[in-house]
Amino acid sequence: MTEPAVIVDHVSKRFKLYKERNQTLKSAVMRRRKSVADEFWAVKDVSFEVPKGSTFGLIGRNGSGKSTLLKCLARILHPDEGSITMNGKAASLLEVGSGFHPELTGRENIYLNGSILGLAKKDITARLDEIIDFSGVGQFIDQPVKNYSSGMYVRLGFSVAIHVKPDILVVDEVLAVGDGAFKKKSREKFREFTNSGRTVILVTHSLAQVREMCDQVAWLNKGELQAVGPAKTVTKQYQEYLDAQDG
Amino acid sequence: MSYVKELAATRELLANLTIREVKGQYRRTFLGQLWSLINPLATMLVYTLVFLFLLRFEPPPGDPSGVEGYPLWLMCAMLPWTFFTRVVNGGLTSVVSNANLIKKVYFPRMHLPLAVMASTAVTWSLELSVLAIVLMLFGAMPIPFIPVIIVFMALLALFAVGLAMMLAILNVHFRDTQHFTGIVLQMWMFLTPIIYPLEFVERRAEQVGQWVLDLYRLNPMERFVAVFRNLLYDNRLPAWDDSIYCLAAALIVFLLGYLTFSRNEKRLAELL
Ligand SMILES: Nc1ncnc2c1ncn2[C@@H]1O[C@H](COP(=O)(O)OP(=O)(O)OP(=O)(O)O)[C@@H](O)[C@H]1O
Ligand SMILES: [Mg+2]
Repeated sequence: MTEPAVIVDHVSKRFKLYKERNQTLKSAVMRRRKSVADEFWAVKDVSFEVPKGSTFGLIGRNGSGKSTLLKCLARILHPDEGSITMNGKAASLLEVGSGFHPELTGRENIYLNGSILGLAKKDITARLDEIIDFSGVGQFIDQPVKNYSSGMYVRLGFSVAIHVKPDILVVDEVLAVGDGAFKKKSREKFREFTNSGRTVILVTHSLAQVREMCDQVAWLNKGELQAVGPAKTVTKQYQEYLDAQDG
Repeated sequence: MSYVKELAATRELLANLTIREVKGQYRRTFLGQLWSLINPLATMLVYTLVFLFLLRFEPPPGDPSGVEGYPLWLMCAMLPWTFFTRVVNGGLTSVVSNANLIKKVYFPRMHLPLAVMASTAVTWSLELSVLAIVLMLFGAMPIPFIPVIIVFMALLALFAVGLAMMLAILNVHFRDTQHFTGIVLQMWMFLTPIIYPLEFVERRAEQVGQWVLDLYRLNPMERFVAVFRNLLYDNRLPAWDDSIYCLAAALIVFLLGYLTFSRNEKRLAELL
């Protein structure tokens, strides 16, 4: 292993919590009289490194800060403390098809979404057939996407994101959608992806999937890093923790 | 400066967002892009009726163009004004209405108000071309002035988007902004000599005092409207002081909008 693809260095992210947040001038004036909003640390002092060409998993219970950390990696949120270093071009897939415009056709949306994810037009054109083929939406590609089934929507969005070919792909629970055949197809695509020296960071609640796909895993608990290491050991610790919680 | 570089590097995204705005706007309408012409025509009809038949006001013929008629005189100022309000209203809501995108993907957020500006400029160019053709049918000759018209279109666009960017940030904190702006823009229009001539105000100022006119003419939109009327209706170059006032207003407001927006854009995802 040479230099790491991602370095997460003592990252913390804080949210302000307001009792009511309806964002009007009136409520701001009212708020002024109350004490300042509560602070909530969704991610607390997390550090780890992700080796190049590996698949890295993030696990933890609901609300443990996985999505918040991923959003920091994707530059959507900015950490209040610490820093994140990305060695290479990153793209994120937090919710599939989030950049789609319902009235535009699938083909037009590929260009729109591709450029949101940072791909130049000529590169999208070069990969267009591949993207359409992988998505499997067939002749619906020239229909407005609002006529798509939710599965088709997801498949097209995933297909665009994976064909953007970033150096680092950040994925939040998108493999949970799509039918069995598509899941299998996308898993193969991920493998192809990491084999070419690219890095995947993903969040999932399926421990079976983590064991199968990930090389290394970080376990977050209430925003803090509980353990980081090889997938097998960390998932085993996490499983034991979950079992203990049940009892 | 690095933010400018990032905007430049992702300019294809701006192009695509603009296409999204232009295409999405009139999808599934029978008349499509024609709607962008029907709307100004309808306003023109209303004001023409009021001013021509009720108030019996006739604007002076264009000097030196010689064109006459309230509808033409009105539209030469009304089109720049509607462009301004569309950019301000659209740009101000562009951040909030794209909350889903902002929370899910990273891209320089300034492309959202900029795309509203660009897409509105596309429809505006169409409207102005139609107006120019009509003006020519009535004897005016705006063609030699096209380069100057384009310069002032760009200045007005900068002025409008600068204001829109400041308001867009404010709107994230207080959603009152968009409602409030609607009212302010309405009042602003009546404080600008669009449907009536500046002479009305000048005459009043003679009675009340010069300060009324001075105060009235602080409004940058008054200058923009005068410039576009000079270029389109009169077919002459605008006055130097008006031109410089427009340039200064556009640059200052755009710079303020740019700074406000780029300073706040990092925290937009969590505020929405
Ligand atoms: N914009 C926000 N403002 C305030 N609190 C937030 C915000 N976003 C997330 N949180 C809080 O941060 C905590 C972590 O949320 P996060 O979405 O990261 O959890 P998660 O690990 O992804 O959970 P899940 O497994 O359910 O997806 C939660 O308590 C959530 O309420
Ligand atoms: Mg989550």
